[in-house]
Amino acid sequence: MKEIIDQVSLRAIEQYGDSFTQEYYRRLKERTFCTTRCQECGEMWYPPKPFCPKCYCEKVAWVELSGKGKLYAFTQQERSLRFSKPDVIGLVELDEDIGRILTRIEAKFEELEIGMEMKVSFIDISNELTLHQFVPVK
Amino acid sequence: MSNKNVAIAGISTSRVTKNFETSIKDLSFKIVKEALANAQIPKEDVDGFFVTNPGMAGHPYCMLACDLADYLQLETKSLALMETGGTSSFTALHFALDEILSGRTKVNLVLGIDSRAKEVIDDFKSFITDGIMTQTSLYGSYKGPYGIGAPIPYYAMSTQRYLYEQKLTEEDLAEVSVRLRENASRNPRALYQKPISVEEVMASPYLSPPIKLLDCSPFASGAAACVLVSPEVAKDLKEEPIYITGIGEHHHPSHFIPLKDSLTESIAIREAGAEAFASAGIKPADVDVAEVYGVFSGTELMILEDLDFFKKGKAALAFKEGKTALDGEVAVDPSGGRLSLGHPPSATPMMELVEIVEQLRGEAGERQVKNARVGLVHAEHGMLNGSIVLILEKK
Ligand SMILES: [Zn+2]
Repeated sequence: MKEIIDQVSLRAIEQYGDSFTQEYYRRLKERTFCTTRCQECGEMWYPPKPFCPKCYCEKVAWVELSGKGKLYAFTQQERSLRFSKPDVIGLVELDEDIGRILTRIEAKFEELEIGMEMKVSFIDISNELTLHQFVPVK
Repeated sequence: MSNKNVAIAGISTSRVTKNFETSIKDLSFKIVKEALANAQIPKEDVDGFFVTNPGMAGHPYCMLACDLADYLQLETKSLALMETGGTSSFTALHFALDEILSGRTKVNLVLGIDSRAKEVIDDFKSFITDGIMTQTSLYGSYKGPYGIGAPIPYYAMSTQRYLYEQKLTEEDLAEVSVRLRENASRNPRALYQKPISVEEVMASPYLSPPIKLLDCSPFASGAAACVLVSPEVAKDLKEEPIYITGIGEHHHPSHFIPLKDSLTESIAIREAGAEAFASAGIKPADVDVAEVYGVFSGTELMILEDLDFFKKGKAALAFKEGKTALDGEVAVDPSGGRLSLGHPPSATPMMELVEIVEQLRGEAGERQVKNARVGLVHAEHGMLNGSIVLILEKK
């Protein structure tokens, strides 16, 4: 089953993503958490895009994110396709004020609270795939 | 031409089932035949045919509308398959309405059909390979890899925020499930009809906290259709039809989780609702009976608040006090709603419409809302990212 899920994930990245998606995952594999910023209007957007969603300018550059933020919401998937239980996922509001990102939370569900300070870490899923996850700042 | 004179001449719905018992073609024929019979309009008069994709967790169907028009031998001036997730059948209806208003067509058949339950039950492996793999647009290249295989965790986080922001409890949510089941106990079409208690809802297992099994709408199959007719055709109908007097539609540029906007207040519903009320020239307080697309108990409350039936955070109390009951201020989901009627997404809005038309005609039997004259039907896609709202009236 894990192999099938890995295949599905890679296919989603390769075939359904855009021309920046693979670069984003390549950077995650190198343990850098990045997105893109418009070189014209300065708008930063997550997830990364080969254009600026605000002004449609195609001059965008990769920028590394601080990886810090606050826990906005969280839950536990009882029937996850990827991780075994407890599989806590959450939305983290990044300090850069670019919105909330969906991520895995490396912590017990019971220990979490809305508003907690969080920081990024990385989890290797397979040789081809690394994902970001967030842990509470103690 | 004002949309106030486009009429719903006929309706038809299947029961909601946990499995898809017949083929798409057999069920389409049955529902289409019943809708035309209900309208007392011959098939030769149909000049527009609009259908949905038969479910979201299955294979994509290319050219289904063309194939069904051939199968049913419907010759038309307008034909389309419409797909916008949960709003699909109302996207089809909105287009059909505009075709009539433009004067191109006079009798439009709109069919919502969803066979999703069958394909998923087969086996988990084929669900993943054929189901999930073909719907990467649902979960995408940035969320899919986390193992999101259903939108339940998204709604769970929205519900968590709602309870947190409005200082409500899981017991408040349980009350919604109980009340909707009470309505379903009077609806022979509902998937679940046996009354439940708050204790039973609280004791049901978590799917994704704070959402429990009995806070959740069941995965189901079914189909429903309606016949829309022009004002001239409406004049000659044998039975007095129900009119679509208002419509609103809005789509926020987000898919499931909005990047920055609220997870508990839907801009799309606020906008679509305001447009629908304004075009009908009525206020929320004028509505006698409403069917809304609340697929989780918390979501049901947010929708009713965003439609302005209740202030933000007050819908739970309204449920508790009976304000949403059949004899309340506004009867909400007399069908039993998504939680108890069952939820075949591509057909759900059309099933809501069938319920409201029956209520306005006075054909709702044991669950009839007394003197119902103004009805509202609501549909959404994603996680309240887009919405279509209809106002229906008896003249
Ligand atoms: Zn820009």
